[in-house]
Amino acid sequence: MKNLKLFLISFKKGFLSLNRFITKITNCILLSIVYFFGIGLTSIIAKIFKKHFLKLKKSKNTKTYWINLDLKKKSIEDYYRQF
Amino acid sequence: MYILGISCFYHDSSVCLLKEGNVIAAALEERFTRKKHDTSFPINAIRFCLEKEDITIKDIDYIGFYEKPLLKAERILHQHLEAFPKSYKTFIFSFPSLINEKLRIPNLIKKKLKYKGDILFIEHHLAHAASAFLTSPFQRSAILTVDGVGEWTTTAYGLGDGNDIHLIKEIKFPHSLGLLYSTVTAYLGFTVNNSEYKVMGLSAYGNKNKRTNPYYRKFKKVVDIKKDGSYQLNMSYFVFYYSDRMPSLKMCKLLGGPVSKKGAEITQRHKDIAAALQMITEEVMIKMLNYVYKVTRCKNIVLAGGVALNSVCNGKILKNTPFKKIWIQPDAGDGGKSMGVDFYIYNTILD
Repeated sequence: MKNLKLFLISFKKGFLSLNRFITKITNCILLSIVYFFGIGLTSIIAKIFKKHFLKLKKSKNTKTYWINLDLKKKSIEDYYRQF
Repeated sequence: MYILGISCFYHDSSVCLLKEGNVIAAALEERFTRKKHDTSFPINAIRFCLEKEDITIKDIDYIGFYEKPLLKAERILHQHLEAFPKSYKTFIFSFPSLINEKLRIPNLIKKKLKYKGDILFIEHHLAHAASAFLTSPFQRSAILTVDGVGEWTTTAYGLGDGNDIHLIKEIKFPHSLGLLYSTVTAYLGFTVNNSEYKVMGLSAYGNKNKRTNPYYRKFKKVVDIKKDGSYQLNMSYFVFYYSDRMPSLKMCKLLGGPVSKKGAEITQRHKDIAAALQMITEEVMIKMLNYVYKVTRCKNIVLAGGVALNSVCNGKILKNTPFKKIWIQPDAGDGGKSMGVDFYIYNTILD
């Protein structure tokens, strides 16, 4: 009886590890698909049209790097939004 | 009226409970979990705050969150789009937490706390500004917030008047004074978002002469500083926008060696690099503050954001700028923003 209990506990542990391993592999495969087909294609198309998502290149002939923000009190409804 | 401010999922998760404009309790989650700079949902800190006032979550009128999650997600998406395919590894590791946590804040709060009331989202740097200005003794003050990154903003300045805060201009990601400091912290073999204070301390042992410290001139290639204190990083020296590492190989070449290993011996070279970084940081901060004074013409200044924790620099502000009085939020990093959120909701939004 004790041996059976030990076996079941070990089996459960092993099964959970297998579960985590499969989840990791599945996540990795799905995320890779999203990355290469979603992010990748968009990025390639954007690069063809010379669209940049971050300002990585140095600005030339600019006197300041400050950008207008103008962030002040808005109506309460604006704060319910996550953007 | 009770307002509960929450800051979490980046670093220093924290909570602050406000009752009719007065702080009842505030706590960092790390105090309960014993994990330094704990990023997790601050369930223990929330329990502590509620128990302190002997109330339940049903008594809370508003919960405030310290940033706009979708704007942050937009920035992260832009990073991946710009850096494709170099950001693959970061995407695989960070995307699950973005989907499961950072984009499900209202669901998470409702599920974990069984809360059915209103949730308000305050912009990251506005929360920083509120945490400094609305807790300060000033009726009117210039405001400067400088940190690693919020949604998009890394640096912002503005003016606080009465209960109102107006952030006028910003510098946007990836150009960040906080991330420059963190990058060099990582380069010197210390942990990011934790050991920046060690680099600040180390700088005192380095060569503080701008003419004879060779690394100061080298950092001048990394950061372009304008007369008004605005700055831009040369991004070829950084990889933080697509990698879990921070300095690029070009930065290693510039500073004359590979990234130091954790616990490696600290040499004079390390000290001189730290000193040069500190001099650059102070130069940017002092120039920015002089410009902020010129724009606002206000004699008071309040500071917040991780860079405002640089006490060596803070000690030089009054001497090198026209400001007469200064207030720095004691927890100027992300931990203090739960308090900023609370104060902003109570004093500004509901005013």
